[in-house]
Amino acid sequence: MENQPAIAIHGLTKSYGKVRALRGIDLEVQQGEIFGFLGPNGAGKTTTIRCALDLIRPDGGSIRVLGINPQADPVAVKARTGYLPGELQLDDNLTGEAQLRFLNELRGRKADWTYVRELAERLDLDLKRPIRNLSKGNKIKVGVIQALMHRPELLMLDEPTFGLDPLMQQEVLRLLVEAKRNGATVFFSSHILSEVQAVAERVGIIRRGKIVEVAGVQTLIHRSMRRVRIQFRHDVDPAPLLQVPGVALLKRDDGRAVTLQVEGEMDGLLKAVAAFPVVDFETERPSLEEIFLAYYEDERNSHKTEE
Amino acid sequence: MWATFRHELAHMRGRILGWGLGLGLLGAYFSSVFSSFEAQMAQLRQAMEYFPQELFAFFGLDIASLTPYRFLDVKFFSLMPAILGVFAVGAGTAMLARDEEKGLLDLILAHPVSRKALFFGKALAALVAMVLIVALMWAGLVVGMDRASLQVTPTQMIGPMVSVLAAVVLWWSLGLLLSMLLPSRRMASSAVAFLIVASFFVKGMAELDPDLKGIAKLSPFTYYQGGQAAFGLNVGWIVGLVLPAAAFVLLAWWRFERRDIRVAGEGGWGVALPARMRPARRRPAEARHAV
Repeated sequence: MENQPAIAIHGLTKSYGKVRALRGIDLEVQQGEIFGFLGPNGAGKTTTIRCALDLIRPDGGSIRVLGINPQADPVAVKARTGYLPGELQLDDNLTGEAQLRFLNELRGRKADWTYVRELAERLDLDLKRPIRNLSKGNKIKVGVIQALMHRPELLMLDEPTFGLDPLMQQEVLRLLVEAKRNGATVFFSSHILSEVQAVAERVGIIRRGKIVEVAGVQTLIHRSMRRVRIQFRHDVDPAPLLQVPGVALLKRDDGRAVTLQVEGEMDGLLKAVAAFPVVDFETERPSLEEIFLAYYEDERNSHKTEE
Repeated sequence: MWATFRHELAHMRGRILGWGLGLGLLGAYFSSVFSSFEAQMAQLRQAMEYFPQELFAFFGLDIASLTPYRFLDVKFFSLMPAILGVFAVGAGTAMLARDEEKGLLDLILAHPVSRKALFFGKALAALVAMVLIVALMWAGLVVGMDRASLQVTPTQMIGPMVSVLAAVVLWWSLGLLLSMLLPSRRMASSAVAFLIVASFFVKGMAELDPDLKGIAKLSPFTYYQGGQAAFGLNVGWIVGLVLPAAAFVLLAWWRFERRDIRVAGEGGWGVALPARMRPARRRPAEARHAV
């Protein structure tokens, strides 16, 4: 039980009529990790999460959440999971506290109310106010609290910081890191790639209902192409540098500076550069955002090809 | 299940008081007015002979055997399944479809509550609400009536309440079932409202045209005793109304257990039409966001 993945999804398919939302998702999230789930709108992130919670029924494939099949025993899965829907809706007739108390009733009063108050304080939320008077950001805070209040083993959060101000975004991310530190697994989707890069250990990228990449954030960044900018003391011909395998010219500012793209190891380029009088040498790795956009560009190109 | 039951009942308390007190006041008014008719019954019969007799036949009213209580039956009880039907249809179609269309069901069902517990917790709350409304209506009728004039006791008045309740539960269960089968709550409400009105008229018209007696057997109003239940409840008719209601509830539960919980953007909220009949489609912003 200890070593089994928190979430194991294999060959998951789901269609809405003729629209194939998931085309065979394979994904494993290990226990105790923070996993970022990335994808453009309509890629299938929400559908995957909702299948894992038995809110919708998959057409094929298998899902295990904390070792349990959610279609066979959804209550057991939900008892150990905290979920924040992407399209969070709350009962406008209740106050924040009444809403949380009702949801706590559904959980068999498992929440620690001191912790609820602590969360509300940290998120600067007045629980006595009616939900109908809360801003979108404050409603999301209620949603975050209900997901965390019973200290679940697994958090499944669909865009947890969407609609929050930057300070609160940081606070929510801190809460996720704290939850992980306390042994929870965090699985969250986000559009804000900088926050995924900041807290996630691994990411999965979903595109048109298929997982196209699962890797550690740092691995993904290190595996990708680097940009190298070299400033020379005097005009040089960069041709010998471009002979190095994996090196391509991106830009030549003038005779004294070039920007190169390097794929793979740097050794060959460094040896080639040693023959030149170098003033400055800068390398830059792409951000997660750039890597994601590269996948997204691929998708747009494949769309164009299909058309 | 009990958490859902308590929450749902608390949620319905405004409607219970509004409908219950409203119908209770109406009952008190009608029973006191018709209690005072006894002294004028002969003149009333005489006056009614000048009206088209089809008007009374529609309600199954025989002028010769007219009593103040029969007036109450026709004017109050005969319309009650249709009047309370408005509440029943609203409650039935709203039970799950309202929360689903609002997006609340997504959050509730992400908690450790089974679909069965949620369904039956809400269904029980709706049934209790209907019983409470009918009980308030009974209290109003009893408060306003003159027993000697109407010649019924408060205990006897429980019979018509059971009859009303059985009819209302049938409409509620049909609304619930259709809300699980049709794409939207509004569509389910419209369908049941149409059926209520059609059933009412079929039953009434069958009193005028014997050829319609066959089709009138399909109308739940045929098995609704109304005020006549005060003088002996037709248990067979009550069972005839409650059994289909139970079947509709079980079918709705069966459907709810197996279907996807929809949010905006997932699945369709419209009727499936052949491709050539579909209007040009633009995906809404929330749909693009949700998947």
